[in-house]
Amino acid sequence: MKRLFISISDGKGFDILLVGLAMFFLLALAGIPLLYNVLMSFQEVDMFTLGSFIRPWAGLDNYRYIFAQPEFWLVMKNTALFVFCSMAGQFVLGFGLAIFFQQNFWGASTIRGLFLVSWVMPGLVVGGIWSFILAGDYGVLNAILEGLGIIDEPVFWKSDPDLAIWAVIIANIWLGLAFNMLLLSVGLAAIPRDLYEAAELDGATAWQRFRTITLPMMRSTIGAVLALGLIGTLQQFDLFPAMTEGGPANTSSVTQYWAWQMSFKQYDFARGATISMLMLVFVFMAAIVYVRSTRGEVRG
Amino acid sequence: MKLNMILGTVAGLSVSLGALMAHAQTTLTIWGLDGDNNLIGTLAAEFDAANDDIVVDFRAIAFDELVPEALKAVATGNAPDIICLDNPDFAMFSSRGAMLDITEMVAASDIIDTSVYYEGPLASAMWDGKLYGVPKATNTIALFYNKDLLDAAGVTPPQTWDELLEAARALNDPENNVYGLTWSAKGNEEGTFQFLPWIQMSGGSFEEVNGPGAVKALELWKTILDEKLASQDVLSQGQWDSTGTFNAGNAAMAISGPWELNRMAADATFDWGVTLLPTEVAGGQRSSAMGDFNWGIFATTEHPEEAFEAIEFFVAQSDRLFPEFANIPPRSDIALPSTGDARKDEALAVFVEQLKYAQPRGPHPDWAKISKAIYDAMQSAMTGQASAQDALDTAQASIDAVLGN
Repeated sequence: MKRLFISISDGKGFDILLVGLAMFFLLALAGIPLLYNVLMSFQEVDMFTLGSFIRPWAGLDNYRYIFAQPEFWLVMKNTALFVFCSMAGQFVLGFGLAIFFQQNFWGASTIRGLFLVSWVMPGLVVGGIWSFILAGDYGVLNAILEGLGIIDEPVFWKSDPDLAIWAVIIANIWLGLAFNMLLLSVGLAAIPRDLYEAAELDGATAWQRFRTITLPMMRSTIGAVLALGLIGTLQQFDLFPAMTEGGPANTSSVTQYWAWQMSFKQYDFARGATISMLMLVFVFMAAIVYVRSTRGEVRG
Repeated sequence: MKLNMILGTVAGLSVSLGALMAHAQTTLTIWGLDGDNNLIGTLAAEFDAANDDIVVDFRAIAFDELVPEALKAVATGNAPDIICLDNPDFAMFSSRGAMLDITEMVAASDIIDTSVYYEGPLASAMWDGKLYGVPKATNTIALFYNKDLLDAAGVTPPQTWDELLEAARALNDPENNVYGLTWSAKGNEEGTFQFLPWIQMSGGSFEEVNGPGAVKALELWKTILDEKLASQDVLSQGQWDSTGTFNAGNAAMAISGPWELNRMAADATFDWGVTLLPTEVAGGQRSSAMGDFNWGIFATTEHPEEAFEAIEFFVAQSDRLFPEFANIPPRSDIALPSTGDARKDEALAVFVEQLKYAQPRGPHPDWAKISKAIYDAMQSAMTGQASAQDALDTAQASIDAVLGN
């Protein structure tokens, strides 16, 4: 008895207790809902069985239905485009800004702090603001572009099938930029200055210093930022109802919006679950990158 | 002495408690969407006050939450007694036996007489020949026009599709930021609400959307967009926003409904009028959309009689719907009183005429899927992703799958 107590308070038992608690919460809050979602995607759900666990088995019917939808490939393409371009934009601009503010000019830290405003705002508000900016006939951006003589007639950002997804991507880049910049700034600050000084003495150019010092030293930070960016982008839902509602003609619809639409607009909960299962593929990729990049952190 | 007083008090308390128990026997829960006019809340409170033995518990639910909340409640056995649902959503519940069949109760009722109701609203509350609800109010869409601009251009209100296109061309004035026409071709229920009447005017229905007339209507809509006679934003604007541009003088014509009358009377600085939706050819088949909500009783209610009494009470207040709540009664036997504004009175007369041709969306339990097929087709043709024929053929295939054909 006493040994057990000692083990729990300070020993292997303590480790198991900690891991067990974490596993319990993980299973209860993420594992079971996930399994429930998997199960539901193979079932027939109607309003009377919505609250049950055991329902008529549908096999792969829901998956066949989703793959047969005319908008399926369009939505997949949009999702890939949205995820890749949002992440690329957030990362490249975020990295650029992080390096820029690293130069420590007057007011750098204040302005960097102000950038966080975009990050603390709810997605619906950001979507609303960008809706005004990108509006067709009376949008601010169109007024500016017309004033500069770049365009002759309004660009219908939200209503043009070729542009609608880009309207949401632009808003999403703006929304996630500050988060990327902040994490990358932290990574930059952790690189010892003497490395740069030594390299400079050896005659390395700015580009060489960036390529051979900054990038290798930032590897784990970059991995984590990209993985979190992927997760954040796949979770990005608010901008869609606030800006385009997936339109026109589904040209700005992505899996997360489609899943919601299927469940809460068409009340087809089983197929909504099926669509969210497809998202797991994307999320798994994020998880692998994230785990791999943070593993290096612990060892280092 | 003291004991007597205590006994007396106890006796008195128990008497009043008994009286309270005898009266407050029934609690009716009502769920619904209430706008600024607080229609359901007001009527529910009045019914509560008028019946000592009934307590009414009204819960206002936002539009997007109403159906999901109701589905959840049915699934968990916690459905309210009465609900007020948007008419295209009604069949989802009535067809699955979630709503109480009130055919007999209505037939025996002195207050509810189905023969005075407009066909469209009543049909939306029916399923398989049985009545599951009573229309709360109704509305429809017609063509608003800016009289000043039409007079200046020498254009008369268009009565056919061709005339509509000609009028839009004549009225379009990009120099002064005026579009010929505005409406909503949004990718949601509003888009279907606006486009389905055109399919119906050409002899189609929600079950048959790819006839030649429907293709012609969709090509007309695309032409209007391609020639920039309307803002490209009709694809992403709801009816409220699109009619806002009409009120601001930035569109010469607008397709919208009677819910706009008060705002238009206040905002528009020009003279305006309303005409019936243009038909495919002169004297052709008329049709229009039909909106608003239906009262229904959930089949699981423990108090069907009291719940029906409540609905009878609401129906008995029909003559107040328009003057107090700006809702149009769903029946032809109630004359709408003058609003004191000639333009509004004229417009209302047109809307009441248009209501005779208003058809419900569905009724069908999977209406949301049929609706998505229709607005997806409409948008993919208007944005040039597919030809009107191909888009509507795709929609037809999806609809056939839903209908099980």
